[in-house]
Amino acid sequence: MNRTSPSPPSWELAQRLLAYETASGNPSVTRMSAAVRVSEKLRRRLVTLAGVAGFCALLHRALALSKAQVPGLSKLSVRPDGSLEGLNELHDDDAAQAGAMLIAELIELLTTFIGEHLTLILIHDVWPDLAESGERTNL
Amino acid sequence: MTPQKKVEIKKLPTGVSGLDEILGGGLPEFSFNIIAGAPGTGKTTLAHQFVFANATPERPALYFTVLGEPALKMLRYQQQYSFFDSSKLNRAIRFINLGQVLEERGLEGILEEITKQVEAASPGFVVVDSFRTVMRRAQNDDTSMGIQLFVQRLGLLLTSWEATTFLIGEYTDVELRDNPVFTVSDGLIWLYQIVEGNSIVRKLQIMKLRGQTSVPGLHMFRITDAGLQAFSRTLGLSGRPRKIPAKRRLSMGIPELDKMLGGGIPEGDSVLIAGPSGTGKSLLATQFIAAGTHLGEPGIVAVFQERPQEYAVRAGSLILDLGAALDAGQLQVIYLRPLDLSVDEAMHEILEGIEKIGAKRLVIDSLEGFEMALAPAFRSDFRESLYRMIFALTGIGVTVLSTLELEDSFTELAFTSYSISFLTDDIIRLRYVEIEGQLRKIIMVVKMRASDHAKFIREYEITAKGVVIRQRLTSYDRLISGTPRRVDRSSRKE
Repeated sequence: MNRTSPSPPSWELAQRLLAYETASGNPSVTRMSAAVRVSEKLRRRLVTLAGVAGFCALLHRALALSKAQVPGLSKLSVRPDGSLEGLNELHDDDAAQAGAMLIAELIELLTTFIGEHLTLILIHDVWPDLAESGERTNL
Repeated sequence: MTPQKKVEIKKLPTGVSGLDEILGGGLPEFSFNIIAGAPGTGKTTLAHQFVFANATPERPALYFTVLGEPALKMLRYQQQYSFFDSSKLNRAIRFINLGQVLEERGLEGILEEITKQVEAASPGFVVVDSFRTVMRRAQNDDTSMGIQLFVQRLGLLLTSWEATTFLIGEYTDVELRDNPVFTVSDGLIWLYQIVEGNSIVRKLQIMKLRGQTSVPGLHMFRITDAGLQAFSRTLGLSGRPRKIPAKRRLSMGIPELDKMLGGGIPEGDSVLIAGPSGTGKSLLATQFIAAGTHLGEPGIVAVFQERPQEYAVRAGSLILDLGAALDAGQLQVIYLRPLDLSVDEAMHEILEGIEKIGAKRLVIDSLEGFEMALAPAFRSDFRESLYRMIFALTGIGVTVLSTLELEDSFTELAFTSYSISFLTDDIIRLRYVEIEGQLRKIIMVVKMRASDHAKFIREYEITAKGVVIRQRLTSYDRLISGTPRRVDRSSRKE
């Protein structure tokens, strides 16, 4: 597949997840740390489904795709357990867009593999009270 | 002391069309089963069909994946099947990956993790896919718990928790011997995939099933958009009592031919019309069906060499208007897809048609077309399959009329080329004769089981009204040689 950015529905869902985590955290939660929380929650859910290796492979790919859009993400890497490393080295300017891009790419990959419907089931499983988006039709 | 009642074992639907009948009514509840076979035979799909058919939020299924097909890819492909109900995911069916547990903690870890998950979810159904990879890992790990102990504990755990279990594995036939997995299991379903010529033939066998009687032998199955579809060797008719045929005679739609048949075809008989190309076999068969629909008896015509529309048009051109019967649902023309059929699949379709419209008459036009439509692998079994089919159909009271093309020999009269006369109760033979420079046609009733019939040979013609039986050709003898000799009857009298 040759693409340059995640689809608008994936981007929109990523934004909503980040907003949710930002709102539910303490005031010091930044967009980047919200992205880490989203990634961590997805990791816990996806490791059960696909195994650590399966999740790591997905996150590696999502990171590679994100780096093409946000070069600042090159400082990030994936630990063997699927968690993210190198967050402290990100500049604040990069952090907000970088976090959203990474999560959007991860959602986009999931959608590519298992389809929109199953992806939403997984997301809903992790964030059961995430508000439904009436405008979303393509994810 | 009063005799104790036996424990009643509930039979669960497998979700696979035809498989419940093969299993003897379904899969025993709380049984510990193995689905074995080579890669690509449909093991995972079979397990998915079972859990999607049975799992509920109250009795969920736990689907453990272990170093086999990645779970995301499995979901990607399995959701293409029509049985896949995404609303059951997480609520009724949970997928859990045990790859890392096996890698880090071996069999003990697997048993601990499965125990933990089972105790938490109290599942009604458990699948381990692939169990073969668990066993392979255990064989390479001396420190690991013994395989036999592991399998026994796993079996005990899952049965105690009232779970019906499937272990999936890529096993080969030679692994059957001395394998603790097979010893402990209650049920063993083996899936085969055989390549023959350009065709792929899929078969399954219930090698073991505790507590109930399954249908023995190899059964065809197919993988379609709906998942696996199995075709029992007994054609789904094993449980039905054989119908004792009434003494009724069925008209062929040609009064003179009915007379030759002693009043018509005995109901529930298998009839063969044999003759060379162009002698009107299909026409006779169509008249037989039309005679039935005219009397309100539904019929099925299975054709292999022309499509239903073409068949109806051809019948219509001979003033046998079948359109009304087709529209009224009294007649169904089944066109069976050529080249990769098995008899069982063909039979399944025919039986569905018979049940749907309550057909009393069935035409198979023709046997050689049927044989050619089969995948090459099934042609060697054609006679045996034909026997099962005809026996099953006549057993439920359907009168079966088959056509068969035979080459005319001008030195002898062959009755059937397939040596299938033992399958047929009645045989009608058509052939060409040369008389005074004309190619004419004769008809004779060669055989009617347990029934009297005319012994004479009649000439017939094909007209716009169908087959018309003419008089006996009394001025000739050696008619069946194809080159008769004129006889002067008057000189004999003198």
